This record gives sequence, C-alpha cells and structure tokens, in this order.
Amino acid sequence: MKKKLRKKSRKAEVRIPFPNMLAVFLVCVTVLGLSYVWFSARCNSLGTEITKLESTYRAACRAADIEQERWANMLAPANFERALKHHKLAMTLPGERQIVRVRRGSNGEILRLAYRR
Amino acid sequence: MPMNYKGRTIIAAVCITAVFAGLGVRLAFLHLDPAEKTLARIERGRHLEEERPAPRGKIMDRSGNILAVDIVGRHLCVDPKFMLAHGDIHEACDAISSVLSMDRSEVWEKLNQPARQYVRVKKYMHDRTLEPLKKMKLKGVIFEETSMRNYPKGALGAHVIGFSNREGVGGAGMELQVNSYLQGTTGLRVSQKDGRRREIYSRRTVDIQPQPGADVYLTIDQQVQHFAEKALDELVAEFQPQGAWAIVQNVRTGEILAMASWPTYNPNRYSNAPDEWMRNRAVRWGYEPGSVMKAMIIASALDAGVVGPRDMFDCENGVWMYGGKALHDSHGEGLLSVADILKKSSNIGAAKIALCMGDQKVYRSLKNFGFGSRTGIDLPGEEAGILWPVSNWSKISITRLAMGHEINVTALQMLSALSAIANNGIRMQPHIIQKIVDADGEIMMETLPVELGRPIRPDTAKEMSRLLARVTQPGGTGTKAAVRGYSVAGKTGTAQKVNLEDGGYYGRKYVASFAGFLPVENPAISIIVVADDPQGKYYGGTVCAPAFQSIADQTVRYLRISPQGFPTEFISNIDVN
Repeated sequence: MKKKLRKKSRKAEVRIPFPNMLAVFLVCVTVLGLSYVWFSARCNSLGTEITKLESTYRAACRAADIEQERWANMLAPANFERALKHHKLAMTLPGERQIVRVRRGSNGEILRLAYRR
Repeated sequence: MPMNYKGRTIIAAVCITAVFAGLGVRLAFLHLDPAEKTLARIERGRHLEEERPAPRGKIMDRSGNILAVDIVGRHLCVDPKFMLAHGDIHEACDAISSVLSMDRSEVWEKLNQPARQYVRVKKYMHDRTLEPLKKMKLKGVIFEETSMRNYPKGALGAHVIGFSNREGVGGAGMELQVNSYLQGTTGLRVSQKDGRRREIYSRRTVDIQPQPGADVYLTIDQQVQHFAEKALDELVAEFQPQGAWAIVQNVRTGEILAMASWPTYNPNRYSNAPDEWMRNRAVRWGYEPGSVMKAMIIASALDAGVVGPRDMFDCENGVWMYGGKALHDSHGEGLLSVADILKKSSNIGAAKIALCMGDQKVYRSLKNFGFGSRTGIDLPGEEAGILWPVSNWSKISITRLAMGHEINVTALQMLSALSAIANNGIRMQPHIIQKIVDADGEIMMETLPVELGRPIRPDTAKEMSRLLARVTQPGGTGTKAAVRGYSVAGKTGTAQKVNLEDGGYYGRKYVASFAGFLPVENPAISIIVVADDPQGKYYGGTVCAPAFQSIADQTVRYLRISPQGFPTEFISNIDVN
C-alpha cells in the first residue's frame, strides 16, 4: 500500500504541467535575444570593417594623388630636360631637312611620300 | 592582538561589497534618473561631428598633364608635456632640426614649453619630407594631416595657373577665375565614438559625402609653354629687360597654347614672391606697341581701298614736319611702296597712309581690331588698354597712332588683332579654358571657338599676310624671326617707353616687340614676344625676333605643323640623313 502511494505521488510530481505557451515564449525570447546579440556583434564587426576599409580607401586615394603629383613632376619639361642632361642623352628635334612627311589621302592612298623645300 | 583570518575576510568582503554597492548605486542613478548636465556631458564626450573637406579640382593642360593638384600634407606638431614625461626632448630637437633644416635654437624654443600639450613646429609639409622623422618614432611628435595645393610643374605656367591660398581659395590666375568650379562641396559626418575615440559605425546618423571639385582643362600645352618660357629666359639673360612676356595662339580657334611672363614665381611658394612677379604682363600690362600697329593701319587702308600695295609714298628721307612736329624714321628712305613701308617699317609712310584714311576710319578700324576694349579672355584682371575717342585727338594723333603711339594695348590684344589677319580677317575670342569636367566625368562647361568680328575682308587678309611675310625676308626688319623651312609673317615693334611718373617718354627706355604667325600659306599659330626696357639693344627685330624664332621653330615641329599648313596626319617622321 505504501509502495503504491509513493508511486502515485511520484506520478503526480511528473505530471505537473509546464505551460507550453510559456516554454515557447521563453524559447522565442532566448532565440530573439541571442539573435539580437549575434546581429549586433555582426553589425559592429561589419561597421568596424567598413570604417577600416573607408580609411584604407582614403589612404589609397591620398597615395594615388601623391604618386600622380610625383609623376606629373617627373614629366615637367624642365625636369625631363634635366634628366636627359644627367644621363648625357643629347636629344634635339629633327631639322626640317631631316623630316620626310608622308600623308594619307581621304581614300587611303599615300598622296605625298616626301616633302623637300 | 593580530586579527584572525575570519576577521580579515569579513573586512575584505565588506570593502568589496561597499565598492560594488557604490558602483551599483551610481549606475542606478545614471540609468534611472540621470541629471541633464550629466547626460549632456556624456553626449558631448561621445558625439562625433566632422566636416569632411572636399578636394579641390585639378588643373590640367590640353593633354591632361596635371598642373595643379590637391595632395595630403602634414603639420609637424609636438606635445612638449608628454615629451618631457616620456621621451627625450633633446633627441627630438636634434632630429627635427636636422630633418627640417631648421635652426636648433628655433626648434628648442618651440619644444621647451613644458606646460603646453600642443605646439605646431612647421606647417604644410610633404609626407616624404617627414618620412625620416616618422621612422624614428619619437614620443610626443604628432604628424597632423592636412590638405595642400601642389603645383608639380613648379613655375611652369605660373601666371596662367595662379595659386590657391592655405584656405583653399583661389588667389590668382585660373585658380581665382574658376574658383567656384574647383572648390568642392564639404561633406558632413555625425556619429558617436567609443572610449578609444574610434567612430562607432552603427551610430553614424549623418553621412554626406564630400563632392570633389571639378577638373579644369586648359588650352595651354605644357611643352609649348616650356618653349615660350625657355625663350624668354634666354632673352632675359641676353638683354636684361625689366620684364618680358610671350603668347602663343591657335589662329583658327583663338585657343591660347602658351602664355609666359617674366619675372615669374613658383606657386608652391607664392608667399615669397613680390606682387610684381605675380603680374601676368600678357594681359595686365598695357604698352605703346610701336610699329606692330602699322600692320593694322595698312590692313585697314588696304581693306578700305584707300591705298594699294604698290602705291608709292614719299618718306621724306627720314624727317617729316607735320602739325608743327617732326616725325622721324630710323633709316631715311625716299619713295617707298606700301609694301615696302611695312617691310622697312617707315613711320612717315605709315603716318601718310593713316592721313589718307582720316581720323574716323582709323579709329573705327582700330576699334574693329579690338583695341581699347578687353578681349574677354577667361583670365582675371585683363586690362582694356586705351584708345582715345577722336574728339580727344590732336592734329598729329593720327600720325602717331599709325606708328603705335598714343595708344595703349596689351600683348593679347595685339596678338588677337594679328591673328585676325592670319585667320582670313576673322577675329576669334581668345580663350584659355578648354573644358570643365566634374568628378563623375560630366562636362560642365566647354569653350567653343567664338567669332568676335571681321575687321578686314579675306582677300585683304591674304594680301596682308603676303606683305607681312616680306618683313622676315632679307631686307626686312624681322629677319631674325625667320624659321627655316617655313614662311613667317610678322612685324617688329620698338616704342619709347611712357614715363608714367613725369609724363612724356623716357629718353632711353624702350618696349621692344615682335608679333607674327606661320606658316603664311595656311596660318596655324601666332606668337607675340614683348620685352620691357631691354638693355644694350632695343629694336624688336634684335631683341624679340630671336625669341619668336625659337618658340616658333620648336612649336611647329612639336605640333607637327607642316610648312604648307596641310593637315598634320603624318604617318611617320623618317630620318633621311
């Protein structure tokens, strides 16, 4: 009899109903919370990455500007002449008598092979 | 009695609890009922609002070579307080003074301010200048970023390009003329920052991107500009004038290919240059042109049918009294044809031709050539010159105007008038801006050739070109302007310089000039060279014609302009020697 009673009461303990709705709610809240935390962390890391890329882009633009400026400086006619002189390259424009001018006509044929004054 | 273990534990627990309780209470206060003042302080600390400066647009030549560009620069700053506490102030002082070539005592004066946390040592420097200092990793040295305008070609085209000041506002030349296009729109970013002063991206509420300024393409060609500047340098070295300037123009379109002025300056260091050096004499310096004006007077006379090229005039053997004043020729001549009056540059002959025309016709023709009014070139500060109305003329004014006196012109006006003769009598609007392109590549503005008028008929222009070509041929005054292989038309000018202080003219100061175009058969470019008060020799044909020749010779070959002026689609240049 005693054994039976104990069995009964144990069954009664097990059967305490946990509200399903509450369980679903708690699970949802947990999932939502975790998702929020995950998304927030993801957004933050993406934000950090974006700001990093932005600054990299800015730095690249600056570097490009500096390189452009250097290149333009190198191509300045005076610097070009200086470089030629430094490397002992005597370059002059050809004289008129050294030039042969060849011209193509409107339909493609060569009209004049050489010009001599 | 020493405290036992339990007692110490209790005290520690109480302390820890008290600390945490305090923090908890503070936290509760901050979160539940924060004072407005506290909230504002927190907000201020986290708030991040930065203006994002837009880079100024580039200025480029007609081929896209960069003439002006914004680059990142640095201000070298120090935190003397931090440096004293954590670094070596003497080492920093030595390093800075040696890298920046500054006086050590000057650097020391700036560093030795223990109470200060921010001192600027030197402003606006290139990154590459500071590279050695960066590598040293000196404590308390700050490299503050800034933007600075840079002119990679140095002094090349300085008067055309101008300069922009430290605030990014154009101060002269093209930088001033198209400042509104070059200046971009500043951006804005509003956000929050974390404890390490880094921006929290997710808190960014406003992000307006800066709009870079538009790029300006000029009609200038850097190589032709170099030819012009080099020729002026040679002229200056030989004749030591007070100033010299030159312009190269495309006669068909009015485009300015080069505009050089001496003395010049480097726009990268514009603050070191005196104002007078910054003056673009090509458009901002009026002078009496002398005999170059004869080309316009004779062209007008031919156009009006008043004279013909073969009509003869008595040049009075070099001295002619008119209106009670003597008019002289440098070489006495007897009878000369109109063509020879131009070739030998006879003042008396030109005066007589002008008298045949009469005051009103001379005045109208000079007006039609554009004298006395601005050409309207897209450069700031252009002078209009002076052409007095006929009512202000004396009896002899017409004879003086014919030889380029009693009139004040700019080199650009004179070149524009001569280009009209070269361009079948059509005067084109001189311009120096080719196009303005925004950051997205859209053309915001493009300059197309504009006709300003037709002072003479095409047949008169052809005749005048032929007559002007004789000036550079043997026996003419401008033989030194001849370019081998090409026929060159031009006119020399030598005028006494006006004494602005005492009135009248200087006895021994002259303005020499040469203006011409080539090839005569099919003119492509026109060039003017002017020298103010050259020393030793002063004739336009001696001082300026060689500079003209130098510019013309190099330019026609560089631009591949053939002697006949036919289209320059050459397949190849072959060395036949």
